[in-house]
Amino acid sequence: MLKNKRFSIRSKIVFGNLIVVLCLVISIIAVNNQMASLQRERNYIIHHDLTVYDLTSRIEKRLLDMETGQRGFIITGNKDYLVPYNTAASKWKDEYSQLYDLLSDNPGQQKKLEEIKSTIEHWINTSGEPTIQLKKANHTEELNRFFKTDIGRRDMDQMRSQFDTFRSKEKALTKARADRLDHQNLLLKFGLFGLLLLLSIISIAIAVVVSGSIVKTINEVVRTIKQMTTSRGNIEGRIQVKTKDEIRDLGEATNALVEVLAQRNWLQTNIAETIAMYQGISSLDALTERFVTGITKVTNASFGALYLREEKGETIRYVKKAAYADSLNDVGRESFILGQGMIGQCALEQQMHVINDIPGEYRLITSGLGEIRPRNLLIAPILLEGETIAVIEMASLHEFTALEQSLVREVLDSFGLAMNSVIGRMEIERLLKESQAMTEELQAQSEELQTQSEELNMQSEELRMINEQLEERTEEAEERSLELEKAKEELEEKARQLTLSSKYKSEFMANMSHELRTPLNSILILSEMLAENTSGSLTEEEAEFARVIHSSGKDLLSLINDILDLSKVEAGKLDMMFNEMNMSELPVQLERNFSHIAKQKGLEFSIMKDSNVPDIFHTDEKRFQQIMKNLLSNAFKFTESGSVSVTIRQAEESHVDRWLTTKGAEYWLEIAVKDTGIGIPKDKQGLVFEAFQQADGATVRKYGGTGLGLSICREFVHLLGGRIILQSEEGKGSTFILYLPSLPNGMAHRDEPVETAVEVAAAELSEMEMREVGASIFNDETSFALPAESSVFKGKNVLIVDDDNRNIFALKTALQNEGMNIVIANNGIECLNIIKEKQDFDIILMDIMMPVMDGYETMRKIRGNPSFEDLPIIALTAKAMRNDREKCLEAGASDYISKPLELEQLFSVMRVWLTR
Amino acid sequence: MDDKYWGIEDEVEDNLTKSIEIELLLEGIYRLSGFDFRQYMRSSIWRRIQNRMRLDKIPTVTRLLEKAVHEPGYIDVLLNDFSINVTEMFRDPHFFYSFRKKVVPHLRDLPEIRIWHAGCATGEEVFSMAILMEEEGLSHKTKIYATDMNENVLEKAKRGIFPLSKMQTYTKNYMQAGGTHAFSEYYTTDFKNAYFNSSLKDNIIFFQHNLVTDQSFNEFHVIICRNVLIYFTAVLQNQVHELFYESLCPGGFLGLGDKESIRFAERTGSYSEFNGAERIYRKI
Repeated sequence: MLKNKRFSIRSKIVFGNLIVVLCLVISIIAVNNQMASLQRERNYIIHHDLTVYDLTSRIEKRLLDMETGQRGFIITGNKDYLVPYNTAASKWKDEYSQLYDLLSDNPGQQKKLEEIKSTIEHWINTSGEPTIQLKKANHTEELNRFFKTDIGRRDMDQMRSQFDTFRSKEKALTKARADRLDHQNLLLKFGLFGLLLLLSIISIAIAVVVSGSIVKTINEVVRTIKQMTTSRGNIEGRIQVKTKDEIRDLGEATNALVEVLAQRNWLQTNIAETIAMYQGISSLDALTERFVTGITKVTNASFGALYLREEKGETIRYVKKAAYADSLNDVGRESFILGQGMIGQCALEQQMHVINDIPGEYRLITSGLGEIRPRNLLIAPILLEGETIAVIEMASLHEFTALEQSLVREVLDSFGLAMNSVIGRMEIERLLKESQAMTEELQAQSEELQTQSEELNMQSEELRMINEQLEERTEEAEERSLELEKAKEELEEKARQLTLSSKYKSEFMANMSHELRTPLNSILILSEMLAENTSGSLTEEEAEFARVIHSSGKDLLSLINDILDLSKVEAGKLDMMFNEMNMSELPVQLERNFSHIAKQKGLEFSIMKDSNVPDIFHTDEKRFQQIMKNLLSNAFKFTESGSVSVTIRQAEESHVDRWLTTKGAEYWLEIAVKDTGIGIPKDKQGLVFEAFQQADGATVRKYGGTGLGLSICREFVHLLGGRIILQSEEGKGSTFILYLPSLPNGMAHRDEPVETAVEVAAAELSEMEMREVGASIFNDETSFALPAESSVFKGKNVLIVDDDNRNIFALKTALQNEGMNIVIANNGIECLNIIKEKQDFDIILMDIMMPVMDGYETMRKIRGNPSFEDLPIIALTAKAMRNDREKCLEAGASDYISKPLELEQLFSVMRVWLTR
Repeated sequence: MDDKYWGIEDEVEDNLTKSIEIELLLEGIYRLSGFDFRQYMRSSIWRRIQNRMRLDKIPTVTRLLEKAVHEPGYIDVLLNDFSINVTEMFRDPHFFYSFRKKVVPHLRDLPEIRIWHAGCATGEEVFSMAILMEEEGLSHKTKIYATDMNENVLEKAKRGIFPLSKMQTYTKNYMQAGGTHAFSEYYTTDFKNAYFNSSLKDNIIFFQHNLVTDQSFNEFHVIICRNVLIYFTAVLQNQVHELFYESLCPGGFLGLGDKESIRFAERTGSYSEFNGAERIYRKI
């Protein structure tokens, strides 16, 4: 009974305090008693002893009053003196009896007092009364006598000494009493201290006991709480309290709190663990997989599946994304539609459904040994911004506790966000990847474009070069034509003079050759005659000499004839005589003239004449024959083996029209003389028609000839309004094609066809070149024509900014040698002034160290002008200065080169910067 | 589900015939020449094919294949078309600046420095690197391996001759890349070309190497492969990154083109970003 009784902390404290108060009351009472006795003692001393002293003194005084009154009366007889006597006599006995009573406790003193009384009574009886009576009776003598013995006096002295004894006795008594009082006081003091000590001990003892019992339990609670605090997460320990007080309540309340905390802790730990599980996952598959596994394990469910929302058009489906304990993917349906079945309903309602004790058939949980039917089901939606983005379903053999349910609820909240962030992250990752791919793609495209544009550039560069060349040529041609115009005027003037002198010369030549021919004829005739040696007077050797003279003479004659012809042509003295010519005879004539040579050299000689060649051909027959003769002689001369053939046919008008403008032609003949001789190299083909020219010196030595034949041919052909063309391949033979018009009315303008022919030839040449160059474009990039070295530098305007005259001189000389135009500025300001005036500089060479305005400043100023942004400026720096480079760059130099300048390096840099 | 976003090649895949044709052409080229373009970005290859078809007025890819098979020398034309050789000296000068200032200090104390320029094209960047290392006083212990799959461009690279018309740009690049000398000290010119000092070539080894089909051939401290991987599909990029990883020594540097990144490669975890902006990565 007592054991179960509550003994609360309040009771403990009150009980303890009560004991202390009790002790205190007892002590106070004790002390009070003690003090009261002391008081009594002291009062006694004060009242009794003082009264004793007072009464003693009063009695003594009464006695003295009586003696004084007796003596006064006796002396004076005045009865007034008897008043104090009587008063004292009547009073002292009262006082005596009072004193006597007071001393009732002290018989010794009473005895002494009785002795005093008897002494006093003796005095009164023996001295006082008798003397007064005597006086009243006026018995002076008796009185005198009486006083002579004075027995009263003896009484008085005795009484005084008795009083002294009494008083000293009384004093000693008083002192003894005071001493006792002091002693008692001391005792009381000690008693008080002792009591204080005792009380203190008692109260401390009680405090210790009470607080001990309180603190002990509190400590236990605190220890348990501390234990729970320090061992994070593990709050399994509970507070054990044996007492039955408020601490027990506290302990129990704490235990309850701990229980709640433990649950919350479990909840939070699991939430945190679950959340931590899907931290840093970047794929939705892994996330859902892990989540389902995690939450199923935490809730002790046997299997779980997660369905993810997929929108296809109008229908919203939830498709299985992950499963736990999924045996061969057969846990549940693969997908469901919103609102379909319990799970669909859950998705629709966005509420968690928990079904316990599922009746009937349900999915089996497969274990190694068999299959168990789950009893409980939890279906929960995963929400994000009010939308069910996924649904999770779990089946378990045990019921889902409230705690597990709230865990699921809490985890799902954050899981929605996690899913969203993973989806977002995947999206970002995907976009990043895509953008990287795009960037690379763009880079690839830009490089491809660059390649293409480079290819195009190359082509356009080539075209540009060709164009430039053509332009250059045109310019040159224009220039030349201008020059020619000028020259022509001069020449015309001179020509007039020359015509005259030429006429003289040609006349001279004609006369000369005529004069030469006359003696030559005699030489020829005479030498021939000599060579025949009809008389036989000459030796064989001499005859041979004569033959040589003859043959040389013939050569000389033909040379003179040729010169004559040529000079006549040049002098304009050769008149063409256009007549009818019978073409049908031509083959026979040629055959006759050349077959023997053919035979002699063992060559095949054939003449072909088309049937459509008209018989009548209008031309100067003599010159025509001469042309044919020259061509054929040449052909035979340069052919060692093979054949020589002549083809005569009518040329197609259209073909000839293209490059011959001879007017009034009836028809055109095309005569080709073809041989299989040594041929003429391409580069020499232009030359063979020039006077005194043959393919090369060696040819002359081998084949002889004056080299005038083809020139004469050409001149004649021109005079006849036609044209001669050479096709030849070195070593394989040559073909001379003769185009000649049949001109019944002679030549209209003699000069025209010649000029035209030249122009056409030029046009043809450029056409050919074009084809050649055009072809080269597609062959090899290095093969296309480029401006010659000098043209990079030639005519370029260079501004040299330098204050050192030696430098300037050296640079100027070197650059002028390359054909550049040099302008000098001695400092920056001069430079700025110069380029203000004249803006067409191609490049500036800028010294850095200059007076007035240095190179950096000058360059900055130049670059400040937008029109000079791209003007190449080469800074000339001193090598010693380290930070020149940065400064030059900053100031706007295009390049820099260190002094002392190396000419080759300078040229290299200038080539770089002058290349456009 | 994600496949539809990888649709850069859509235009190719849209047309199944064309896709088949291209595959056949690339297969043909591979079988005939050994050059494997099958893992190149289809979009890029398709543009190059289109370009060739336009130039030669060929209506279908199959005709192109026919020409490649039957016309001698035509396959070389195609190979040339497929090899893009865009480059310049000190291309992206800030890359070279960063290399000079940040990477070179890490190389300075090595007993020998091996640098591999994979896909060097006509060699402009190789010569740039040679100049850079010379100016840093490291040329005596530097070996630069310059490789490309295209022998023609490699021949050009070996010459060290670059057209004068580009030298203005190169000079600007050189200066921006932190060049410490005058650029003109490294070349001489004629009216057409700049001829780089042949002493620069002393430390350069040129040879043919195909990133797609060939193996690692040495261990390098630096691999420079700029604007090459952009022509490759992700699969091939990964394969080449594997090759680079094998060929880099620990702590070695990998320099990519300014539009490229290692971020999406499988090997991304094996590198730390040394200078992200300049695409310089360091093998961990």
